[in-house]
Amino acid sequence: METRQQGSVLFSAILVLIATLVVIQLWLVAAALDALLARQIEVLVPTAAASIVLFALSAGLLWYVVSFDERLREWGQRG
Amino acid sequence: MADAHEQARWREDFPVRWDEDHYMTRRELAKFLTLGSGLLASVSVLIAAIGLTRAAPSAPVRTIANVDDVPAGGSLLFRYPTDEDPCILVRDGAGRFDAFSQVCTHLSCAVVHRPEQQALACPCHNGSFSAADGRPLAGPPTRRLPRIVIEQQGTKLVARGIEV
Repeated sequence: METRQQGSVLFSAILVLIATLVVIQLWLVAAALDALLARQIEVLVPTAAASIVLFALSAGLLWYVVSFDERLREWGQRG
Repeated sequence: MADAHEQARWREDFPVRWDEDHYMTRRELAKFLTLGSGLLASVSVLIAAIGLTRAAPSAPVRTIANVDDVPAGGSLLFRYPTDEDPCILVRDGAGRFDAFSQVCTHLSCAVVHRPEQQALACPCHNGSFSAADGRPLAGPPTRRLPRIVIEQQGTKLVARGIEV
């Protein structure tokens, strides 16, 4: 039961983290659009790279939390 | 009371629990957020691709005005390097010429010349730039106006490039 509660807290924390990463990505898209209109081409590639890294982080966190949840369910069924 | 009874019968006929209908699990929300993250990453890559593939306009050498076209303290609008790029030529009281992009670096409104303040003012959000070097003086803009490199050849003013 304690492990399930810990899992719930972990899930919530990771959800908040993913939401934060998405907000940062929104800011990056806005900055990239601004740079595109100002023809500051040198900003665009780092912005896109950072956005991809943030997406990879989000996907990794999602994969981790889903697999953790599944392990927890299997453990619960066995118990 | 009769209304409540009718409503209860309606609910019996259509047993849809709206609170369950709108329920979204945390797992679904996490997937939705990650999908949004992927879409935003795609948009960033698309913006970078557009910026890199769109060829930077070459700076042609072009006559933009005659010296006599602009009185001291006056200004003249022109387009450079393409017909889609509005610019402004400013002549100060001493007769010196300066030219800048007319597009405000804040939100792309057109700046106008205010000779009494020796400034280029953006009427949209009260931004202001120096008419001497294009640097921001007041308001929301933080980046200077791109300067058009001009050269006087006899009585003609020739644009030769852009300094961002």
